[in-house]
Amino acid sequence: MRYREAVEFALADLLKKGAAKASCHLEVNRKQEMNIHTGELSLFRTNENASLSLMALAGNKKGSLTINKLGDKDIKDAVEEVVDLAKSSQEDPANDIAPYQEAADFQKGQLDPDLDAMYQRLQDFNQEVRNRFPKIILEEVILDHTRSDRIFLNSNGVNFTVREASYNFVPMFTAKEGKQSSSFNYTYLVKEKLDQDFITACTTADLLQQASEQIVTEKMKNKFMGDLIITPDCIGDFISYITNYLRDFALISQTSLFQDKLGKEVAHPLLTLRSLPLAPEFPQGYFFTNDGFAAQNSTIIDGGVLKSFLLSLYGANKTGLARSVNSGNCYKVEAGETALRDMIAQVDRGLLLCRFSGGNPNDKGDFSGVAKNSYLIEKGTIRYPVSETMISGNLADLLFNIRGISRETVNFGWQIMPWIHFGGVSISGK
Amino acid sequence: MELSEFKKFSSLFSEYTELRIQENRNVSIAIVKGNIVRNSRTALSGVSARVYKDGFWGFASNPEINSAVIRSVIKDATANAIFLATKNSRQVKSLPTTSGGRIEKDFSTSKPRITQKEIIEFLRDLDDRLVRTFKNISTRTLSLNCLDMEKKLLTSSGSLAYTVIPRSILYVVLTTLKDGKPIELYDTYGGFGQIEEHFQDLEDLMARIGTQYEHLQKKAEGIHPDAGLKDCILDADLAGILSHEAIGHTVEADIVLGGSIAADYLDTEVASPLVSMTDFASSALGRQCPVPVFVDDEGTPAQDTVLIEHGILKSFMHNKETAAHFGVAPTGNARAYGFDDEPLIRMRNTAILPGPDKLDDMISSIDDGYYLLKSSNGQADSTSEFMFGIVMGYEIKKGSIGRAILDTTISGVAFDMLQTITMISDEMSWTCSGMCGKKQSIPVGMGGPAVKCKINIGGK
Repeated sequence: MRYREAVEFALADLLKKGAAKASCHLEVNRKQEMNIHTGELSLFRTNENASLSLMALAGNKKGSLTINKLGDKDIKDAVEEVVDLAKSSQEDPANDIAPYQEAADFQKGQLDPDLDAMYQRLQDFNQEVRNRFPKIILEEVILDHTRSDRIFLNSNGVNFTVREASYNFVPMFTAKEGKQSSSFNYTYLVKEKLDQDFITACTTADLLQQASEQIVTEKMKNKFMGDLIITPDCIGDFISYITNYLRDFALISQTSLFQDKLGKEVAHPLLTLRSLPLAPEFPQGYFFTNDGFAAQNSTIIDGGVLKSFLLSLYGANKTGLARSVNSGNCYKVEAGETALRDMIAQVDRGLLLCRFSGGNPNDKGDFSGVAKNSYLIEKGTIRYPVSETMISGNLADLLFNIRGISRETVNFGWQIMPWIHFGGVSISGK
Repeated sequence: MELSEFKKFSSLFSEYTELRIQENRNVSIAIVKGNIVRNSRTALSGVSARVYKDGFWGFASNPEINSAVIRSVIKDATANAIFLATKNSRQVKSLPTTSGGRIEKDFSTSKPRITQKEIIEFLRDLDDRLVRTFKNISTRTLSLNCLDMEKKLLTSSGSLAYTVIPRSILYVVLTTLKDGKPIELYDTYGGFGQIEEHFQDLEDLMARIGTQYEHLQKKAEGIHPDAGLKDCILDADLAGILSHEAIGHTVEADIVLGGSIAADYLDTEVASPLVSMTDFASSALGRQCPVPVFVDDEGTPAQDTVLIEHGILKSFMHNKETAAHFGVAPTGNARAYGFDDEPLIRMRNTAILPGPDKLDDMISSIDDGYYLLKSSNGQADSTSEFMFGIVMGYEIKKGSIGRAILDTTISGVAFDMLQTITMISDEMSWTCSGMCGKKQSIPVGMGGPAVKCKINIGGK
């Protein structure tokens, strides 16, 4: 059964079997992936998969089911099961589906991979690393081309079709000399085309250079309140911590740090955070939300003021707050006016935080963890790489303690981030 | 497809080949503050082949399962290996030809299956009872995740296996308010087996959640720990995550080749002589492990891997390729999560072995330190530097348990910290609620006794 016919068949059968409202989302992926292991390109994978997600409302009761088969009987069985699931659930007036919107057909990216170019880019990267960074061991490097074909239909007449593809590059590496090793590090890039060497893309060369320097570290002693300059590779973790508080779970359970903060200051006026799924800078953007709304770009924090939560239709109905115009991600922190060099020069004592090993902050926003692949900054100068150094603070406080945002930004293809300078963080050595 | 029919596809193998048909079935239900926010089932299945030629691997997968597709994935995987082999060359040793023969292990319940409606009724009943019984909770979350992994494996080395390994985990998060601010504590219940094997005695489950509630009440009155290097007792949960994250990953042979600090530690003292640690395959100390593995996804019979024996690092964990590289036998650690995943070196059930000490004596021996019970998460590094979030613990003052502590973090370098272990308790427990992430996620078992050590704890 072809893709569209399968989805139309599933939707019709859901309504026939008793669903009051229903939606069907089919995603068919074809991934071509090449892998370097321990410095050798030794694995080539071709994966095909499908994911047909069915959602049924029986009255206000909701059930959902996902299968990866598109045969007539598979779909019929799944439809019966998901309707039963819905009937077994509880009444909840917040359950609903997206209203009618104009049908749309979207396409982006190079739909067909260039396998020879993938191979060559990966081998070139491998060779460049050997030449320029001889202490580096490429533990694993993954380059894939993933094509996704999506169809979303619901019983209100929503009808979206997407054909998209991107290249994804993830190098993970450690430096080693004699019996000493650096911490591992990694980065993640999304590209629409293979038009650039990976070694020169984004922060890749910088991270390889840093790892080479981090074989020998110094253990800090004492504890002090200091500054952090968080790099574009690392700041995404902290953005995720913020946005987790803006989603359904935190707001429905009333455990969000920002529960009553809509329209209020939650950060220093320097901070503007946007979610831009439609921006051409993001090959990994998206065209519609998980619950079937055409996506729009949004501003989440504007000059320090919280402008939007990240609520789904269900979350919005449940909390009485506005639905977000997108599902988040594709985050861009607007550049500031401070040159990175000047930002570092302004730090009396603190860390250049390049990777953070820590858990999610708790419900009060308290966080702590280990500074990895990071450097001590003293009197405006980067001194040396550190190990066994912990940082701790409170996320809500941290957002008001922004001292500067760099004018330089890095576009990873899935996020655009600057360097951000924070004050008032507890930094402790062993 | 019956095993006898599946076996016939070996005639299509022209190179070293693994052929796998797999289905992962998942039930996921979440109730947040009385609202069912997730009520879903997932069944993802398909077939994959992995082929090894001249040192290069080709892999292909497809969600359809029929003879034509199976022929196609074997052909595509072979073509992918040839694609790499025609562009480059590698000097590698031949793969070991281990074979598990024919193995069949089906751990599906023999009890009548309960419906999703009955599961939801059970969870809603439990949720109601939590509200009625525990007066000081401001919100609560119940999240049930059941995963059945069903695999058929055929290899060119002669392995033919059929396994069904289920697990059912209930996460309970309780939240209370202290001065208007939320304080939460989670715990997990259930483990190996389908849901029919768990939660039959609601009174027993309520009693266990009652213990979680008591800890939460104490945590609400808790204090921030004093930061610094402290005498601590890591309870079984933490000893397990220490074994897995901080030590286990550093001795996975692919990580060793990737730059792990442990590469140069083989046959040297890496821990106190009190410490022995094993990655168990299917049973440990006379009992079945929470994630039993009888044959790995390369067809190697799974054997226990002794990692540390009386403080000496004895071996790494291997797949066939790293075993060939190091000139040892593969250990049966190659595991894949989904049908479309290639096998990676993964731990199975990793634990520090019990010692001679009583927990009460261990607590009595500490004048000023902490008893740490539960971790939120853990991360480790190729250097063995680790970080674990702590969500439940108590101070120890003059040999007695004192006030609870608020959320904090512990960190250290595992191979340094292992040298500081001076006591190990004689009781051991296992958990298998977590998923280990390493390109793919996969269920793992972690276990251990309580250990007394020196560790760096964070404060405010």
